[in-house]
Amino acid sequence: MLRTTIRNLMARKIRLVTTGIAVLLGVAFMSGSLTLTATITHTFDNLFVDVFAGTDAYVRGQEAFDASGPGNFGAVTRPRVDASLVSTVAAVPGVKAAEGNLTGYAQIVGKNGKAVGKPGNGPPTFGGNWPKVAAFNAYHLVAGHAPEADDQIVIDAGSADKGDYAAGDTATVLTKAGPIQAQVVGVAKFGEVDSALGSTFVFFTDRAAQRYLATPGKYDGISVVAEHGMSESAVAERIRAALPTGTEVVTGARMTKENQDDVAQALSFFGTFMNIFSIIALFVGSFIIYNTFSILVAQRSREMALLRAIGASRRQVTNSVLLEAFVVGTLAAVLGLGAGIGVAAGLKALLDVIGFDIPATGMVLTGNTVIVSLVVGIVISLVAAWFPARRAAKVAPIAAMRDVAVERADRSRLRIGLGGLVTALGVLALLGGLFGDVSNPLRLVGLGALLTMVGVAALGVLFARPATRLLGAPLERLRGVTGHLARENAMRNPRRTSTTASALMIGVALVGFITIFASSAKASLNKTFDDQFTGDFVVDSGTFGFGGLSPELATRLRDTPQVAAVSSHRITSVELDGAVTQLNGFDPVGLERIADIGIVQGKAADLDATGLAVQEKKAKDKHWTIGSKVPVTFAETGTRELTVRAIYRDHSVAGQPGLNEFVGLAVFERNVPDAFDSQVYATLAPGVSVTQGRAAIEAVTANYPNAKVQDREQYKKAQTAQINPLLALIYVLLLLAVIIALLGIANTLGLSIVERTRELGLLRAVGMTRRQMRSMIRWESVLIALFGTLGGLGVGLFFGWALVHALADQGFNVFRIPVVSLAVISILAALVGVVAAAVPARRAARLDVLRAIATE
Amino acid sequence: MSTSTAAYTDKARKVYGRGDTEVVALDDVSIAFDAGQFTAIMGPSGSGKSTLMHCIAGLDELTSGRAFIGDVDLSTLDDKALTLIRREKIGFIFQAFNLVPTLTALENITLPLALAGADPDQQWLDTVVGTVGLADRLRHRPSELSGGQQQRVAVARALASRPEIVFADEPTGNLDSRAGTEILAFMQKAVVELEQTIVMVTHDPVSASYASRVIFLNDGRVVSELTDPTPESVLDRMKQFGE
Ligand SMILES: Nc1ncnc2c1ncn2[C@@H]1O[C@H](COP(=O)(O)OP(=O)(O)OP(=O)(O)O)[C@@H](O)[C@H]1O
Ligand SMILES: [Mg+2]
Repeated sequence: MLRTTIRNLMARKIRLVTTGIAVLLGVAFMSGSLTLTATITHTFDNLFVDVFAGTDAYVRGQEAFDASGPGNFGAVTRPRVDASLVSTVAAVPGVKAAEGNLTGYAQIVGKNGKAVGKPGNGPPTFGGNWPKVAAFNAYHLVAGHAPEADDQIVIDAGSADKGDYAAGDTATVLTKAGPIQAQVVGVAKFGEVDSALGSTFVFFTDRAAQRYLATPGKYDGISVVAEHGMSESAVAERIRAALPTGTEVVTGARMTKENQDDVAQALSFFGTFMNIFSIIALFVGSFIIYNTFSILVAQRSREMALLRAIGASRRQVTNSVLLEAFVVGTLAAVLGLGAGIGVAAGLKALLDVIGFDIPATGMVLTGNTVIVSLVVGIVISLVAAWFPARRAAKVAPIAAMRDVAVERADRSRLRIGLGGLVTALGVLALLGGLFGDVSNPLRLVGLGALLTMVGVAALGVLFARPATRLLGAPLERLRGVTGHLARENAMRNPRRTSTTASALMIGVALVGFITIFASSAKASLNKTFDDQFTGDFVVDSGTFGFGGLSPELATRLRDTPQVAAVSSHRITSVELDGAVTQLNGFDPVGLERIADIGIVQGKAADLDATGLAVQEKKAKDKHWTIGSKVPVTFAETGTRELTVRAIYRDHSVAGQPGLNEFVGLAVFERNVPDAFDSQVYATLAPGVSVTQGRAAIEAVTANYPNAKVQDREQYKKAQTAQINPLLALIYVLLLLAVIIALLGIANTLGLSIVERTRELGLLRAVGMTRRQMRSMIRWESVLIALFGTLGGLGVGLFFGWALVHALADQGFNVFRIPVVSLAVISILAALVGVVAAAVPARRAARLDVLRAIATE
Repeated sequence: MSTSTAAYTDKARKVYGRGDTEVVALDDVSIAFDAGQFTAIMGPSGSGKSTLMHCIAGLDELTSGRAFIGDVDLSTLDDKALTLIRREKIGFIFQAFNLVPTLTALENITLPLALAGADPDQQWLDTVVGTVGLADRLRHRPSELSGGQQQRVAVARALASRPEIVFADEPTGNLDSRAGTEILAFMQKAVVELEQTIVMVTHDPVSASYASRVIFLNDGRVVSELTDPTPESVLDRMKQFGE
């Protein structure tokens, strides 16, 4: 049997190559994303090893709440320590040196007037105090000297390069305290490189750092070097005894590990995100394997029957098919693994292009990646070939005596029954996950979506004939007999057509779903904004939590006569009633004049230093009413009882979605020391035109190069455009599934052509030109593609509808079907059909007529 | 009945393979087929009958010499022009698998016309369909027709575009004698009543006797010829060449 298998493999090289490529692409993507994730993790691991290399112990405030978990990366959870603690720690026996450490937001403005770096969606822009103890300083001067006065700074070589600065220049630095002027007295490098993973750094003296970045008299923590011969844990032990309550000490090793773990946590989200696309690609690939082996088995059923007739057992026949799948799967997985390294580099480049600047140096292929990729590639191949293999074994020996055994184009009851059942289960799981109250909804929704697609693919056999008949109807008028033949060919084997189309169906379902979802999200944002925002301008920083606009800017706007009302927006991480969340703060008085968020109970004006506003539904769920006390834990000040003072209707304020609660700025003033404004909203005074208003506002913002002044329309556009990079990324990643589907169509067509050699030869003999032959194959392909697209759009529409309605709570108040986009998707899918047909059509046209006629 | 030439060859030579494996399938064959005639080609297996037919019909290329349809030299034509000649001037009937399974009988019959984007001459079509006796079967697919009916559809298809010449390679080879006789009768009728030109390859002396002229091939050469054959005279001649 082994020899037969090998012979079969050789004889069907081309088919198996395309089938193999389908698996290869999936595996390559999987190993690529695993490799990229591992590489990024590795890069950060090394970074933190370098940063904490000279630190034996670190003293810091105790965590106010635990924000470890995906989505909370970078959340500040600890209060700062008093500067006086430095001398206490330094005095502990065994401590060789101790120094306060401070890091915060600072952004240098280049000579061209533009701020260097994009803290909103790129590496952070740091400011800090210049460590005088060399062991704590990961940077070293390459020019000039350390800052000695409060108006002197050292910048990293990357910033010096981008901002066009050299030692001796005067530069503007954006800080919490507003833009400041400082003299660049030195330029420093991070080890060998200009800057650490693309982040920028402005170093001040301790006093200036406290003033501009944090709070006078405070440090983030205290770095410690031990005396020679003193272990990290021993020195930490001694320091611990000297610490006041509310502070703690950890070893340098622990510090390194914690930082590494935080990054790994944050990346796990990225890893999951990429894995979803690997699974999609492999899922689509499995359809190709299934289909190819089904057709091959059908075409070889005579040979199988012969084998059975001369004494091969069923198991031997099954195994021979599975062995083929195993060989193909293994080869594809191995090659895919290799290709994965290229994919990783490509993904990184792609992320760069789309605007996610990801640090990664030198690709890291882990053992885990190798094993997962190989196992997944091989197992997928075997599972997908299992059903065709079983079918092969069922070929009766007698079939060898019968004439041509074409694939049974049956619509077996079992398939339809199972398809219906799986679809029903999938829909149930999906809806259950979305609307039900389950512990792990995402997983249930994913499973539901997967099952729905498998079920619909199985049911496709019911629709393949009527659908292609309908879709092909105009073709006859357009293309005459070629079109007629194309339509008939698409209709002749519903099972093959539907399985082939399934792969594309899945791709289109996902693309359609994302498109519908994104357009609904944008429409919802716009609608809410239009309904509630009564202001005229938004000054946007483009950041979310780290850094932003100096509060000074809002103050200055308030003093501008052309501006009638101002409200600024701040964000911080807190623990609210037991859950870590982003807390939003607004200027309550200004807010009422800028947005009508539908306050149903209480008053915004009541939002004092202990007031809390809660969204209606959340209040109901939590049984909160006006006057309810809600515990909120802040990093700096610990747990505070806030009192519900207002209950409102909308889920978003001025385009900021997911707003389940907010507080007045007074709460921020009291509990969040280094607050920045993410946005500042402004309403113009009566009689001031938009042009005059803009001029007045821009006169203020001119000093803040990170401030973007946008009128209503500009802001709306910018808000909705925020989804675009992510959307673009998802589209590109889904493209992979579409390419695999394309391979699948090409494969089926190729196999069909082999099967129809005689028929094609006959057509050529009686006068079909090569061009007509190509056109016939192409249109068949387009019909299959359109059929898949139609199914995909149906499924995508359902997914989109379900998700949008499930998220009604989160402010999704519009379900929008983007007709134009969906039409474009359909046209593109038809083009996929054209591309997929290119090679098979050429081969069919090149067919040797005589050989075709003579073929047995 | 016109006496012009529908197709002819001039020193047609076809060699397959090279060196040791060289086979001369046609050895400088010069032969003409008059319009309005029913010609049968006979000869032992491997004598080059199919090859001759394929080369005159523009399905295969000669190694040397020339083949003409009417007065068009096929060797001067590219694939596209050959295809157009096939669909406009030539009709084909093969031994089996003559029909496109996805098309109905009528669609199969009009296929060459449809490929040319031409409207069928309805009157002619009715005549042809009437002649082969298929009027009530036109909406059926090939799989719903018997082997004999399928060949009748093939004959009708070959005649539908009123070609200059029809080539049939053992058209009755797969049929029982009754069905075969029917087909031959139709072909004869097409020549006599509808003034068509048919060239048919056959192994069967009775079939050959339906033709007005029989050409004998052996080893790629025309070795003999008979006009107004009867089964007996054909058989006699065949014995002469040891078939
Ligand atoms: N494609 C080919 N390659 C090599 N030799 C060929 C090829 N086609 C035909 N031949 C040879 O050319 C010779 C003539 O073949 P041809 O098919 O014309 O014979 P035929 O008279 O039609 O025979 P039959 O009665 O068996 O159909 C034979 O010897 C055959 O082996
Ligand atoms: Mg022959």
